[in-house]
This record gives sequence, C-alpha cells and structure tokens, in this order.
Amino acid sequence: MKSRFLFSHKLKPLGWVLFFLGLILGIIIMLNDSDYPNWEMNVFPLVGEEGSFLSSPAFEWSKNNIADELASVLLIIGGILVSFSKTKDEDEYISTIRIESLIWSVYVNYGILILAIVFVFDMEFFSVLIYNMFTVLLFFMLRFHYVLYKSKKAIGYEE
Amino acid sequence: MKNNIKVERAIHNITQAKLAEIIGVSRQTINAMELNKYVPSTVLALKISTIFKKPVNEIFFLDDED
Repeated sequence: MKSRFLFSHKLKPLGWVLFFLGLILGIIIMLNDSDYPNWEMNVFPLVGEEGSFLSSPAFEWSKNNIADELASVLLIIGGILVSFSKTKDEDEYISTIRIESLIWSVYVNYGILILAIVFVFDMEFFSVLIYNMFTVLLFFMLRFHYVLYKSKKAIGYEE
Repeated sequence: MKNNIKVERAIHNITQAKLAEIIGVSRQTINAMELNKYVPSTVLALKISTIFKKPVNEIFFLDDED
C-alpha cells in the first residue's frame, strides 16, 4: 500500500537529533527561567504589542532572545520528522497503527487540555499552553512506538 | 474475520518471515493477521491467496461478529 503524506525513512534519525537538541535546549531554558542562554538577535515581529510592560511594535526591527524560538522550531520539526517518517518496513498494518495512535494522541492531548483549562489558571496556564504546543506530537510518538514495540515483541512469542 | 494463514504456512512450510518477505509486508503484519488482530486489505488478501494457490475465501472467513 502506498502511504501518503509520509517522509522517507532516511529522515527519521535526523528527526531524532533535531527533537533531542530542541528538548535539551528547551529544558535548559525552562530551568533558567528563560534568562539563559541569551541569544539576542534582531527580529522582525509581524504582530506587535504596544503600551504593555514590553513594547514591540509590529513591522519594526527589535531585539529578542531567540533561544526559545529555536527550541520550539527544533522540537516541532524534529517531532514531525520522527512521527511521520516511514518505518523501515512501513506497510498497511503499521499505517493502521499510525492512524490509530494519531487519533489516540489527539484525544489524550485535548483531554488533558480540558482538565488544565478547568483547573489551572493565570501564568501556570500559560505554561500549560507552552507544553501543549508539543504534547500532541509527544503523545503520538510514545503511543506509536510503544505499539510498534509490542507488535514486534509478539513475533518472538509466535514462532 | 478469521483466517487459516498459519495452517497454510505449515502446509507450504513457509515461516512468517519468509511469507512477509514474499508479499512485501512487515513480519508484524503476518503475525497480527494470524492472531486475528488485523484484517488485511483486499490487495494483501489476494496476494496471500496467490501464494497459497487457493481462492481468498478458502483462506479468510467471516465470523459471527462480522
């Protein structure tokens, strides 16, 4: 069966590298309250905000620490490549596991988000939103690889 | 749906790995089908029937749940 919308198997290792680089950078940023590492660069905001405690008008160059942007992009691109690169022996059964895992992860992700909406407030909720950018992919990766591992292990018992 | 792939494999003396290789699927797929955990596509069922030289409905059967 032809699997549509998937990347080549060769891109999976690259995905893991990018994902873990993003994860490590993200953890370092979180542990240092976003103060370190401070990679300040000129940025060009398309959406701006004025009058609040931070002023960064749109369509004007300004300075910003791009560490968190970098970590987010690495996590998302890495996560997508890990999630949606074909396995070495991608076939219709593995595609079924893939689709089921995707449905499962969307349910789990939004289930947790609903709980957080109801029970978490203010800045803590902002943290929830940050984590929530990556959790669909993370839950998918965990569920998909766990079921793959289980189905591979089942072969051992059979023959 | 049930099937007797395992029996047919035994008759033809083919391992799961060999059958998987011939049809071009993963070993997990063969194993999942034999455990009735996965219902294959028509394409896959037809390929299996070609290899065992039997009509599809002598290898795959509907069961009460279908």
